[in-house]
Amino acid sequence: MSEAFAVATHGLSMRYGSEPALDGVDLRVPEGAVYILIGPNGAGKSTAMKVLLNLERPHAGRAEVFGLDTASRGPEVRAQVGYVAEQHEHDYGWMTCGRLIRHAAAYYPSWDHTYAAHLVDVFGVRLNRKVGTLSKGEARRLQFVLALAHRPPLLLLDEPADGLDPVVRNRAFAQLAGHLADTPTTVVIATHHIHEVESLADHVGVLREARLVAQMTRDELRRTVVRYRLEVPEGWQPPPELRTATLRRSRAGREVQWTLVGEPDEVTARLAGAGATVRDVTPLALEEAALAFLAEEGAA
Amino acid sequence: MLVNLDPNDGRPLYLQIMDEVRRAIVAGTLRAEDPLPSVRELAAELVVNPRTVSQAYQELEREGVVYVQRGQGTFVSPSVRRGAGERRRTLAREVAKRALLEARRNGLDAEELVTAIQKLAAGEVKTHE
Repeated sequence: MSEAFAVATHGLSMRYGSEPALDGVDLRVPEGAVYILIGPNGAGKSTAMKVLLNLERPHAGRAEVFGLDTASRGPEVRAQVGYVAEQHEHDYGWMTCGRLIRHAAAYYPSWDHTYAAHLVDVFGVRLNRKVGTLSKGEARRLQFVLALAHRPPLLLLDEPADGLDPVVRNRAFAQLAGHLADTPTTVVIATHHIHEVESLADHVGVLREARLVAQMTRDELRRTVVRYRLEVPEGWQPPPELRTATLRRSRAGREVQWTLVGEPDEVTARLAGAGATVRDVTPLALEEAALAFLAEEGAA
Repeated sequence: MLVNLDPNDGRPLYLQIMDEVRRAIVAGTLRAEDPLPSVRELAAELVVNPRTVSQAYQELEREGVVYVQRGQGTFVSPSVRRGAGERRRTLAREVAKRALLEARRNGLDAEELVTAIQKLAAGEVKTHE
């Protein structure tokens, strides 16, 4: 059986002026996944989300959400998506929060009024406040209510914790975890604050300078991106075939710490064959493993 | 049942949740026929993916530690009254695995670790120093 993708992009490319924002990106987000899209500011995370919502047009390639082409079926796609944008829109600044919520409720046939009231409570949204006067954190909390209350099959969360204090942040992610237990949902979270969502993620993508440099399941990342501690002889040179797999390397005396991507048995055999003694192999936290792709040095 | 996850523990989260359930049973804070928290409750409390909790519960069910009553929830098996010895050994093995990993990270071998543990247990060193 072929896997069903909630999100699939094919050679997605996009430029702002001469700067590439996305360069041949092939995202694959299986249905039901919690996919965390990692990368520094400006790596293309927000642009990718905007293309999925047809808020930006790619220069090349295409994107599908639940098999619908995002460029030609934009409204149908947007009806199935809950979106927490990085920047909060001021289009409805004159409305009160309560009015905006009623406005959204009329737009989404699947709007769950009881749940919306519960979310307003959980996120402490003050209904009589004008949207335009909200602080960044208050706007974020309102965005969460609007994104979750229609129980969309796809959630796109762009730096969702931005502006939230630690207590509300934890409450927001706890709410999200509970939401996933109640509602079949695919989630894409773009962030550079990995540790906050690490325990929710089961798929990982890493964007670096507009390119998708890694995409795999959390389990595969855990298995194949690990740190080797080696004891090496004086003047030891790493075998050339491992240089392309190198993510990070540090050396102190005869000890080398090396983060490599590859099947650990195979890598260990190669290292041993090259005269290094493998002292230990350590699995990495998601943040460490993902950051290793961003600090790449070996791949020329 | 109180579940604590260690973000620095390199093992998958579902294994950590399984260990916590075993620990609660060995400690007697979870007994035969006690309900486990629902998947939703535990996922929200720990802020983990509900699938991770489900996976832990399914593995525990496969091991016969818990059973699922459809529509009611997940409960501790009556058989835990009998399997106490085996469960203690399983838990001990997991604790030992973590200690061994930590020892290796520090360049120590298993023998050095075992010697140190035996000395500690013999009361030559206060454990909470």
